[in-house]
Amino acid sequence: MTAAGEAMDAPAGSVPGGGARSFLDKIENAVSIFLLCGMAALPLAEVVGRKLWRTGIPGSTTFVQHATLWIGFLGGALAARDGRHLSLGRLSDRLPARFRGAGTCFFSAVSAAITLILAWAGVRMVLLERAGGSLLMPYLPGWVSQSVIPAGFGLIAWRLIRHSSPSWSGRAATGAGTAAAVVFLSSGLLLRPAPFAVSLILLLSAVVLGGPLFVGLGGLAVIFFLHADVPIASIPVEIYRLVTSPTLPTIPLFTFAGYLLTTGNVSRRLVRFFRALVGWMPGAIAVVTVLVCSFFTTFTGASGVTIIALGGILLPALLAERYPEKFSLGLLTASGSLGLLFPPCLPVILYAVVAGIAVDQMFLGGLLPGVLLVTIVAAWAVRGGKRAGTRRTPFSLGELGAAAWEAKWDLLLPVIVLLGIFGGFATMVEAASITVLYAFCVEVFVQRDIDLRRQFPEAGAESARLVGGFLILLAAATGLTGYLVDAGVPQAIFEWVRATIHSKYAFLLILNGFLLVVGCLMHIFSAIVVVVPIIAPLAAAFDIHPVHLGIIFLANLELGFLMPPVGMNLFLSAYRFDRSLGEVTRSVIPFLLILLLGVLAITYVPALSTILLPG
Amino acid sequence: AGPTVIKMATLAPEGSSWHRVLLEMGEDWKKVSGGTVVLRIYPGGVAGDEDAMLRKMRVGQLQAAAITGMGLAFLDRSFYGLHVPMMYASDEEFDYVRDRLSPLLEQRLEEKGFVVLNWGDAGWVHFFAREAFTHPSEMKAMKLYIGAGDVPLTQLYKEAGFKPVPISVVDILPGLQTGLIDAFNATPLVALAFQWFALAPNMADLRWAPLTGATVIDKKAWERIPKEMRPKILEVSRDASRRLQREIRNLNEEAMKAMVKNGLKVTHVSPSAEAEWRKMVEDIHPQIRGKIIPADVFDEVRKFRDEYRATHGGAKASAR
Ligand code: NA
Ligand code: NA
Repeated sequence: MTAAGEAMDAPAGSVPGGGARSFLDKIENAVSIFLLCGMAALPLAEVVGRKLWRTGIPGSTTFVQHATLWIGFLGGALAARDGRHLSLGRLSDRLPARFRGAGTCFFSAVSAAITLILAWAGVRMVLLERAGGSLLMPYLPGWVSQSVIPAGFGLIAWRLIRHSSPSWSGRAATGAGTAAAVVFLSSGLLLRPAPFAVSLILLLSAVVLGGPLFVGLGGLAVIFFLHADVPIASIPVEIYRLVTSPTLPTIPLFTFAGYLLTTGNVSRRLVRFFRALVGWMPGAIAVVTVLVCSFFTTFTGASGVTIIALGGILLPALLAERYPEKFSLGLLTASGSLGLLFPPCLPVILYAVVAGIAVDQMFLGGLLPGVLLVTIVAAWAVRGGKRAGTRRTPFSLGELGAAAWEAKWDLLLPVIVLLGIFGGFATMVEAASITVLYAFCVEVFVQRDIDLRRQFPEAGAESARLVGGFLILLAAATGLTGYLVDAGVPQAIFEWVRATIHSKYAFLLILNGFLLVVGCLMHIFSAIVVVVPIIAPLAAAFDIHPVHLGIIFLANLELGFLMPPVGMNLFLSAYRFDRSLGEVTRSVIPFLLILLLGVLAITYVPALSTILLPG
Repeated sequence: AGPTVIKMATLAPEGSSWHRVLLEMGEDWKKVSGGTVVLRIYPGGVAGDEDAMLRKMRVGQLQAAAITGMGLAFLDRSFYGLHVPMMYASDEEFDYVRDRLSPLLEQRLEEKGFVVLNWGDAGWVHFFAREAFTHPSEMKAMKLYIGAGDVPLTQLYKEAGFKPVPISVVDILPGLQTGLIDAFNATPLVALAFQWFALAPNMADLRWAPLTGATVIDKKAWERIPKEMRPKILEVSRDASRRLQREIRNLNEEAMKAMVKNGLKVTHVSPSAEAEWRKMVEDIHPQIRGKIIPADVFDEVRKFRDEYRATHGGAKASAR
């Protein structure tokens, strides 16, 4: 595993074909930016329309959900164009020179083959949907929108082949390899054990050599479904369901808002303000980082956007205060999912819904455990600040006033979001689009930090690439989850637990381990929907309070975001800060360990979760 | 070859009585087929919401689904015919109409490649709100949840004078908490299961509309089951739905009791107030007929309903 760990690499930088040069490139960029703007504008029109003509804009929710699907797949193709899909690393680059080209052709061929089969599965789904004839809204059939799934995968496959070699002969070799792999996978041979094993080995080698991670996850889904003789069109169905789920639009929207804010000079203004406010305390900026991140996660529902939206502001702030780079990276990665237990965080609500517990009970139960986790990280941050001998600024009321005045528009943003949500004006998605509009107006018209012709499209294209890379990875993981559910794997695990575990403490320990893996592998919403109905009855049998179980569950998932090798915060951090996955992983380990202590305390001291509950 | 495996999805939670009845039905299938037809159930929505279940049936990952009538309306809007508000006054009246309409509905589904194994029952939909209410005018003053996605239905609520807020199901709880919505409608079982009533603890004892359910199987999968076995499977499936019907009606009553114990206040809707609600809906029948529900189905529904009232003595509501 060390070799693989060493080989973990940053997303490959720019490769031949990167940058918006050709006509197609420009169209792709333009459509992505148009969709992002539409996604931001429509929910706003909905908020206004609801006041003016009572029902808002007919079909706006449907549009926004499908725009997310389009952004995901167009952005995925953009990421492939610019070589920005995340991989474990390019081991092929370490091969002796004469094998290097062959290695790249090999992993590209396997990756393109898997991606083409995913595209074909998408075509199957689209054709069947077309025959079924359902309409998204009047005059717009569902299959039209779904077509972006096969189109996106097809474009990604083409680009994988194109980037496999600088020469056309090399590309031809990759193309031939792709064709051979497609024939092998779709021949029906996979029903038998030996070819099934061979295909798994080929896939693993391709991913280790440098194939994109989404190919690893999606490839497992493809191979398992083919081996089980279940139609592979199930994969795009699962992807479609997840990517059009009602709360997912918050991800592209908050990402876009985050890029607008970071392209402007928000970070400089906020840092000045916070330094003036608390800079006289040791480790103060780190504590501010922890609090601001928790606050943001609470509002964005642990969708992982905290790191993306705030990372670009807070990392320079920490470095400016002379925090070591490794510590700062770890702190930001770890803070990315803090705050998950506080109201109005979406996963808590969803958990309560699925488990049939009153939402306010869940939020009451989560209060002390949430404070505990935040305090642990903040205390560690103060300690880190003291040890590094970070700079301290003498307090000055005049400077505080000046800094606050300069940052007044930025400081108003959370107030606007809070008012939108708690004033009953807006849903989460609408609040996200309010954030985009607000960031846009402040940066373009008030502060004039963003140039509409140059920086604005750049922020849009960058958001689309990032969201695309992320959503394609999520989509592939969802395909795999779909297989596990279809095969009854979660149920089988818990049947086994029911039969073998008899002590409450042993059960809790196994639960912790299992949930860490779940939190690392699954989207938090799918994890809640799939896993909770299975473990709730088991936990009841062991006499665990339902609210306590919920808090254990969510706290573990929160930690799972940081879990190597595939915790989501690690990827987001690597993406956002352009560091290697190995570097991010090493930086986060101390935080992982102290948070693990916190989660164990939450698990084995039920009173933390239940003492505030009435009755 | 091994047994024919039928994979069936449902929103019914794991361990609920609906799930239990489906499990029993699977045992019966095994028995009458001599072990050659095996039912595998995916409960609690693990296979997705009802539209995703139907999509998975289309691509062949699932073969069957136990689904509500609102889910079936994704396939054919005729199913809205069973859910016309204020159309039915009692369980008996609704059963009468559904029994007569079901051949037509089953035929429409069959044209789309689905076979109905049995019909179920999910109970009566009631309004729940943050403030107490009895008259339509009071409900119209409140912001009412409506499922996002059905554009014409949202329009209809607006034309009837409501303030519908089209949001997704996951936004209902936070929406009630923040005042984005003030009211929703649902069956007692659902209002309890999702704890929505805790934030909207006022209900009127007005039966707004019935909610039905059905177990459907993919036609190709159905035809893979040997012909002589199909009538037996159909028979045990219909037995299961009869058991479920009794169970669901009890469960809705129990759900009411549980909610009242936890702070739900039920206001009585007087016959004159009920007449106001009925008039409001009847005034927009021309918009429902044709736009929301195919005209022929709407006419059939009204014909059967009137037929029942003519033969059974008026629109007398049954004892609750
Ligand atoms: Na997430
Ligand atoms: Na679901």
